Amino acid sequence: MNLNIKANKNNTFDAIVVGSGMSGGFAAKELTERGLKVLMIERGHEIKHIEDYDTAMKEPWDFEHRGKTTNLSAEERWANSRFWGLGSEEVVNHLTNDKENPYIEKRAFDWIRAYHTGGKSMHWGRQSYRWGKHDFEANAKEGIGIDWPIRYEDLEPWYTHVEKFVGISGQKEGLDVLPDGHFLPAMPLFAPEAHFKNKMMERFNRPVTVGRVANLTQPQDIHTALGRASCQYRSKCQRGCPYGAYYSSLSGSIPAAMRTNRLSILHDSIVAEIIYDEQKKRASGVRIINQNTMLTEEYFAKIIFLNAGSINTAALMLNSKSNRFQNGFGNESDQIGRNLMDHQLGSGATASIEGFEDDYVYGQRPNAMYIPRFRNWGNDKQTAYQRGFGYQGGASREGWNRGVGADGFGADFKQGLTKPGAWTISIGGFGEILPNSNNRIYLDSEKKDKWGIPMIVTDAAFVENDWAMRKDIIASAVEMLETAGFKKVTPYDRPTHMGLGIHDMGTARMGRDPKTSVLNAFNQVHDCKNVFVTDGAAMTSSSCVNPSITYMALTARASDFAVKALKKKEL
Amino acid sequence: MKRREVIKNVALMLGGAFSAPTLMAMDNWENATKPNTNGIAFSLTETQQRIVAEIAELIIPKTDTPGAKDVGVPAFIEMMLKDCYKTPEHQSFIEGLDSMGKVKFLELNTDEKRGVLKFLEQESKKITSKTTPFWRLIKELTLLGYFTSEAGLKASFEYVQIPGKLELIKLKPNQKAYAY
Ligand SMILES: Cc1cc2nc3c(=O)[nH]c(=O)nc-3n(C[C@H](O)[C@H](O)[C@H](O)COP(=O)(O)OP(=O)(O)OC[C@H]3O[C@@H](n4cnc5c(N)ncnc54)[C@H](O)[C@@H]3O)c2cc1C
Ligand code: SF4
Repeated sequence: MNLNIKANKNNTFDAIVVGSGMSGGFAAKELTERGLKVLMIERGHEIKHIEDYDTAMKEPWDFEHRGKTTNLSAEERWANSRFWGLGSEEVVNHLTNDKENPYIEKRAFDWIRAYHTGGKSMHWGRQSYRWGKHDFEANAKEGIGIDWPIRYEDLEPWYTHVEKFVGISGQKEGLDVLPDGHFLPAMPLFAPEAHFKNKMMERFNRPVTVGRVANLTQPQDIHTALGRASCQYRSKCQRGCPYGAYYSSLSGSIPAAMRTNRLSILHDSIVAEIIYDEQKKRASGVRIINQNTMLTEEYFAKIIFLNAGSINTAALMLNSKSNRFQNGFGNESDQIGRNLMDHQLGSGATASIEGFEDDYVYGQRPNAMYIPRFRNWGNDKQTAYQRGFGYQGGASREGWNRGVGADGFGADFKQGLTKPGAWTISIGGFGEILPNSNNRIYLDSEKKDKWGIPMIVTDAAFVENDWAMRKDIIASAVEMLETAGFKKVTPYDRPTHMGLGIHDMGTARMGRDPKTSVLNAFNQVHDCKNVFVTDGAAMTSSSCVNPSITYMALTARASDFAVKALKKKEL
Repeated sequence: MKRREVIKNVALMLGGAFSAPTLMAMDNWENATKPNTNGIAFSLTETQQRIVAEIAELIIPKTDTPGAKDVGVPAFIEMMLKDCYKTPEHQSFIEGLDSMGKVKFLELNTDEKRGVLKFLEQESKKITSKTTPFWRLIKELTLLGYFTSEAGLKASFEYVQIPGKLELIKLKPNQKAYAY
């Protein structure tokens, strides 16, 4: 049904932001704070900050299945439950029901989704690292993909801007490979980790630092003004934080935008199409379908920010066809949906640690240890693969579940398990994946979802470079743990697909040339300048660090540009 | 029956019973990766429930703190198997219980029962199939059910619901682990 409402006061805004997740939230904040009236459109249901974190304060015994994935959850969330812990009843209901929102896996892709206010920002691991200069330069230097149209210096002030608002705890290290940011006090490394850090420096000259994480170790005025408080160290962040102590769109950007009284949010509204005005040669608005009522409506604005998450943003553009854009919105280059990247994840090594029996921790650190990239860096040259990886991981003392694999039962066994177990350590790699036009998503030509929107097909996989890097991720992890003197060093390599790195990106890349890229240096669609894409779709390469603060920095920079251009009547 | 004889009998019985799941494991693996359709059908007879309760209580007996039965572990195990495990595990579990039936587990004295479990534990290690063996299933579910139950958790650990801070500390002698 098409109601075809004309533009009027009620459905016309200065800006429309598609998606309320990590990047959409930031766009709404930046645009409203610069005076624009913004409509944020979210396809999923509404989640109210704190109020709707229904599992946040539950005690372990309140969960019927005590955190295990039920068969029902595994069936309904057939993709989401592939990721560690996301099938658990602690979080599962906040992740997308894949059965109701299926996609087609031409090649398997572990697509982790959260269709609701805040998107995946509610569930992220909060690891926050700036890209380095090299990350923006590597494509051009190595002749891979296309060159980024920007450099580190372009983004640097925006990183600072984002970090101040988000609140990131971290340790300054003065490393080129992992530029320092604007940090709140760092969390501590545990005793065996500190030992590991020293050994790595001594034997390999490799730095190790504590994770840089978006949890407030020491809230500043900018945070408390939004009702955000200090972290209480329960490490149950993925359920939603009742203290607003970790950053999400729900705790940070959306309340900040709301405060301006210039933000309206529409929930349950799937943006199905971007409306292109052939006369004015600009996008005039979007067409939405209400996910519950199936009703169609149109909303209009001067500028549109696409922040639906890299895959959905690409799908939306591909589905927006007009006389001008017969191959999808802004898709002259045929690059939309292509160059789908992620980070490879799921391999590394574990070990048990002798000693440190007296060292213990009060509280749960919602963070890990970080080992920055050391491959193809400095004097290191790998012949088997390009680029590199970083490790995340950490040490902890075993809990009662060590009893499952151990011999024994009965009174003494029971008593023994009430004490902290031995220290163990685990590190796993996040590896850079190169842009590759054959790794892509596209729309199925026949099959439609229940809203009549063409279904998304994933068609991407690791290539040789990734497998060679994976081998080294495992071998280097083993080498490092052994060098640290740890025992029972055991490699692991979980069978995996792309997507499991939870950092999908690249499907509408930035570039200098409209023939080979979709967006320009300010994230504007080359062929339709009043549409901006500032989620992961914009990425021209993937680095090996977690991407979200880079998405937010790009978003803030593009928002600033857009508002200035609007004021100068250039948009 | 002397303890040694019991064990010998058990060995014979179990030896037979346990080769079956190993052989079947290959076929079952296929099914395990498909969504389960007959999970709802899983249920235990009264005798089987009694065996489960006995074994759970032997793993986590009542001492000066509650035992597995006190905190409802037996019913938890059945519910978990039904809701969270698939056909291969169900079969493995039922076969395990069948062998316990064959050795008349419930009629043995406590020492003999412990002997059976020790034997079971060693035998389970030899099983190479991808389907979790009976002993491992009942042990992991007993520990999970007990240590995450309110009474079991609070009796075993120092429960800290909201730590409020993160601190590196030195362990005091005999200090219990924290649970969060
Ligand atoms: C378990 C997990 C751990 C992670 N850990 C980290 C980490 O440690 N560090 C890090 O940097 N990143 C991490 N990430 C990744 C991070 O969550 C994403 O990079 C980030 O959320 C992406 O932001 P986004 O705005 O592009 O998409 P999202 O946050 O996913 O938001 C997209 C929003 O758009 C909505 N939407 C989609 N399609 C439409 C449509 N057609 N119309 C209207 N609305 C639509 C969605 O419902 C959603 O709300 C993690 C992710 C997961 C799942
Ligand atoms: S660890 Fe900190 S941020 Fe995470 S849920 Fe607890 S209080 Fe909130």
